[in-house]
Amino acid sequence: MRLFWLEIYKTFSRWRTYIGFGFIALVVILTEVVMKLSAVEIVNRMMRSTEKDFLIFGNVLNGWFVTSFIMNTLHIHIPFLIALVAGDIVSGEATSGTVRFLLIRPPSRVRIIAAKYVTTLFYTTGLVIFLGIVCLLPGLALFGGGDLIMHHYGKFGIVFIPEAEIPVRMLLAFIAAIWSMTAVASIAFLLSTLVENSIGPIVGTMAIVIVFLVIGNFPFDFFGTLKPYLFTTYMVFWQQFLDDPISWQQIATSAAILGVHSFGLFFIAVGAYARKDIKS
Amino acid sequence: MKKILLCLLWVPLVLSPGLLPAQEEGARTLDALQKKYSGLKDYTVDVNVHFDVEGFKAPDMQAKLYCKAPDRMKIESKRIFFLPKEGGTFNPFMFNKEDFEVKLLERLTVEGRNAVKLKLTPKKRKPNAPQDFILTVDTDRNLIREMNASSLDGREVKALIEYGNFSDFDLPTRIELHLDVQFNESRELKDFGQSTQPAKRVTGRVDITYSNYKVNIGLSDQMFKETKSAVSGER
Repeated sequence: MRLFWLEIYKTFSRWRTYIGFGFIALVVILTEVVMKLSAVEIVNRMMRSTEKDFLIFGNVLNGWFVTSFIMNTLHIHIPFLIALVAGDIVSGEATSGTVRFLLIRPPSRVRIIAAKYVTTLFYTTGLVIFLGIVCLLPGLALFGGGDLIMHHYGKFGIVFIPEAEIPVRMLLAFIAAIWSMTAVASIAFLLSTLVENSIGPIVGTMAIVIVFLVIGNFPFDFFGTLKPYLFTTYMVFWQQFLDDPISWQQIATSAAILGVHSFGLFFIAVGAYARKDIKS
Repeated sequence: MKKILLCLLWVPLVLSPGLLPAQEEGARTLDALQKKYSGLKDYTVDVNVHFDVEGFKAPDMQAKLYCKAPDRMKIESKRIFFLPKEGGTFNPFMFNKEDFEVKLLERLTVEGRNAVKLKLTPKKRKPNAPQDFILTVDTDRNLIREMNASSLDGREVKALIEYGNFSDFDLPTRIELHLDVQFNESRELKDFGQSTQPAKRVTGRVDITYSNYKVNIGLSDQMFKETKSAVSGER
């Protein structure tokens, strides 16, 4: 536990750790202010198709919608912010020349690497929770509450979620988002154990995420067959908590696949770190 | 030659006595409808909308509807409320004979009562508005029993209307709408990163029930000044 707190202290003593929080606060608040100022235009664009046939009343552009909108937009950018810290957490010791000092002390390498991994997960969880708080609090204050209108996940149509159900569904969606980001953090963490500089793991993680996302979204049959084997396909499973009915089976499958990725990558990292040569 | 020309001149004169009364009957039917409701100044009613439309997963929606003659309307709802544009509300003054070309299509019997089927084509075209309406009007009671609205883009809406009597006015208690519309998903509603789906024809049924009518209660003009449509942006 002391190792964990030590890692937390080290991580949160670096200014790099706060880039992610600062970026999220800036982008989310800026987005919300712009959305507030352009509310009429956004609602008109949102409802352009539906308004041909329906008169629409009520607070469509509410805090819940704004939160899900920002989550949809940022799920590609958050991995980069996670990689900034997770990619540095092990290799940073080599860069700063403290790795030998760290590894000659009594705790085993496995305990050290485990403490670093838990710290990485702590940071990842904190970042996603921070995103949720920054989205929801100003979002609800600026736009108010209301029912949520969502695109029906992966199918045609739209879904209305009554406001009474939204807090629980949002909570589950954020927990799922944390779980998804754990897979990204695990990639950066593994790469961080393999090299001795921080840039490689950060850039490497982003390259993997971007390439997988691009491959997964190419409208060609060949890439379509690869899609089920890409972890990025399952990263958006949080959206299924904002669907009706909630597809628990798909959620369980996605969560299991991402979990296998995360812990598989962690165990590879443990193996690599245990055999790491620190003498040269 | 002169005989032929005379014959040709006679043709419209011979046919017109049949056509003119038919056109007039249509206009008279619309007049009678408006006359029947001339005493209806305003009303409020509770509305419940039940959707059974493909790809449109929504719970029942409730609202209070305020209407004032000839065409003012206000909706009060604590939650998001969708009301079909065509046939979702009852306005006996919307079919003004001056605004439409009226054509009598047929005379028929509906539930043992005399009725006519009229085709109404708006004289002025409005964007997204239907290009024509076909009304089935119970001429014994002067009630619109069925309305079909069709648009240039192929949208079709059919409304079947049931009435009850409230303060001496026949007002709808239930409107059953059958929709066949084209639906394009807006970019903002979509998940980012997913390919855009093409426009799709959507069919389904919307049941609108009306209860708790209050008729001619003297609604003020002031309350209709703040229109509450989310799409107009005046939320």
